[in-house]
Amino acid sequence: MISYLLLIPIVSIAAFWLARRESHIFVLGIAAALIMLSAGIKLSLDVAALGHVESRVLMFFYVDSLSMIVLGLVLAVSFFVVIYCAGYFKKELERGKIDLKRLRLFYSLLFAFIFSMILLLTTPNMGIMWIAIEATTLASVFLVGFENNKRSLEASWKYIIICSVGIAIALLGIIVLHISSIGIIKDAGTELSWTYLYEHAKELDLNLLRLAFIFMLVGFGTKAGLAPMHTWLPDAHSQAPSPVSAMLSGVLLNNAMYGIMRGLAILNKAMGSGSFAGAALMALGLLSILTAAVFILTQRDYKRLLAYSSIEHMGIIALGLGVFTPASVLASLMHMINHSFTKSMLFLSAGNIYQRYGTKDIYKVKGLFKSMPITGVVFMLGIFAITGMPPFSIFSSELGMVVALFKNGSYLAGTAFLFLLALVFVGFAVTLFKIFYGNAKGEQQKSLKPSPYADAVLVAMIGVITVTGVFMPNGVLKLLMDAQRIVTGG
Amino acid sequence: MEIMQILSVLILLSCFVLVSNKRTNSYIKTFQAQSALLALAAFMIGFENIEGHGAVEIMLVCFLIVALKVYYIPRLLRRTFANVDYKVEKNFFYNIPLLVLVCCAIAVFNYFSISSAIGAEASELGMFLANSVSVIFIGFFFMISRKKAIGQIVGLLVMENGIFAAALFASGGMPVLVDVGIFIDLITAVIIMGIMVFKINEQLETTDINKLKRLRG
Repeated sequence: MISYLLLIPIVSIAAFWLARRESHIFVLGIAAALIMLSAGIKLSLDVAALGHVESRVLMFFYVDSLSMIVLGLVLAVSFFVVIYCAGYFKKELERGKIDLKRLRLFYSLLFAFIFSMILLLTTPNMGIMWIAIEATTLASVFLVGFENNKRSLEASWKYIIICSVGIAIALLGIIVLHISSIGIIKDAGTELSWTYLYEHAKELDLNLLRLAFIFMLVGFGTKAGLAPMHTWLPDAHSQAPSPVSAMLSGVLLNNAMYGIMRGLAILNKAMGSGSFAGAALMALGLLSILTAAVFILTQRDYKRLLAYSSIEHMGIIALGLGVFTPASVLASLMHMINHSFTKSMLFLSAGNIYQRYGTKDIYKVKGLFKSMPITGVVFMLGIFAITGMPPFSIFSSELGMVVALFKNGSYLAGTAFLFLLALVFVGFAVTLFKIFYGNAKGEQQKSLKPSPYADAVLVAMIGVITVTGVFMPNGVLKLLMDAQRIVTGG
Repeated sequence: MEIMQILSVLILLSCFVLVSNKRTNSYIKTFQAQSALLALAAFMIGFENIEGHGAVEIMLVCFLIVALKVYYIPRLLRRTFANVDYKVEKNFFYNIPLLVLVCCAIAVFNYFSISSAIGAEASELGMFLANSVSVIFIGFFFMISRKKAIGQIVGLLVMENGIFAAALFASGGMPVLVDVGIFIDLITAVIIMGIMVFKINEQLETTDINKLKRLRG
């Protein structure tokens, strides 16, 4: 099953270059995403039943509950995004902004990007995991700069340079981890294998392990957009075409957090709880939330605003990992799922708005409810969802986080967290609510009504985040509990 | 092995040379020399246990370093550079003696922090790690002290050299599959950055990345 998952994106890239018409590319993309999603569902059922799934075709693959959650998000969000792309690029083709060749390029890069994420999540080898995470940067850098103007060029240059540096430091961490295990590796072929390191965590050299985790935290933290290493993120996520922003914010950031979690799991198992890592993660988390809150308050560009909000939510996940009680880690993992769907939905609606109004400036967009009823309503509900209002799913995980913080006795962090959440809500309300009302002037292009594909995706996604706000399926809950046990090292 | 220690120190010293280079061509050359030292180190490790397992793999790594870092990437950088830029990089942010002093500080800081972090008993390992991590940090510092895009690429490549040095000296090399994968990533990254340097030059008529500052706040 795992090898199918890896094979489908490669086959579809080849098919995109053979396709003769735009519509063929759209259909191929949706079909491939659908097959991958169903393969993913089958895989997740196996993982939920068996604990983990292994495969030895070509290479050793290993999927456990932790990677399955992130993998499931990759497949689900990319399914929505690929459907949305069909509608989005139809409009772009009609407007003459892109041609068939660039469409092929876009789809190939998108699927290469998805491929590298699947590889990242299915390999147990930390070295190959690193290679895959660097490959995600390389595959997505031209996607970020796809619009080919000065701003997107600047964003993609910053993206590739800062992320490559960050990820290089993570590689140093992985090498130090390798050095810490040299004495205990006896069987050939198990070098750098996460499962082996995890099993023998207590025998690793603790000093080196600690050093390794610091490097991994800084490195993967850069890629995850934790402050103060976040500076590339608002640029890259706001300049990329909206479907790509949805993938970057909704999915890619989770992959970087996943890297941190893998390192953290080994460290926790080796040193027990109450290690220094918790304090570092909590500090980085709160700093990220604070940075994001300040920038959201003064933002004029709605896509940048959403990008800063991603920094905030990565901060929340890091905070939960840092508190390090079973309840807080569980809240972190749930938050990861909820943020993925909500944020990608918001970026996709932002894509509709940008296509229609041709500007990212909040002050130039007016009367959204009148001009685009479905997008407008979804966008507004999405804003409520992302700021943690009930009944949407982020509310439940943020509530879980607050409870976990106070139960653990971190009153100061808990209070700061609540205050910052309120600040973020104020920021969203002050900056964004003005775009919904008023009269849309002649600036917008009436002909560019959002396509039915795009609307269907938005409605489906708001359905997902509303339902998961009140009810998580049992299978998902079991995966979450198992993943929490992996991260806490029990 | 003494020769390994000498090589490790030489690689660190080449970083100081790098930082004091003024011309783009000369720092590409310094990078080339540093990579050659790294390849030599890989060869020595392979030669040491020529009968042991893993010798073939490490020789492959040595070959890849020579092919990519000593030959192909410098050539690619020179070609990119010849097409886009003038010969002297006039404007970096601080003067050279200051840059070298900062590098000394980085090296000293690393000796103390690494040896205290991993414990004093593993002194040889500590030295190898401190040298390599200093190379990485100096590469990073080089990146932020240069304005031109090619300087940043070279800085990133030097950081990668430092990481390889850490893997070679302190652990005797990574699994070969991982090494090959890292090389593939590296070469792709350099090619992509090369393309982007062209694009930046096309759009802004300079490769001064300090001009890239529209996106703020």
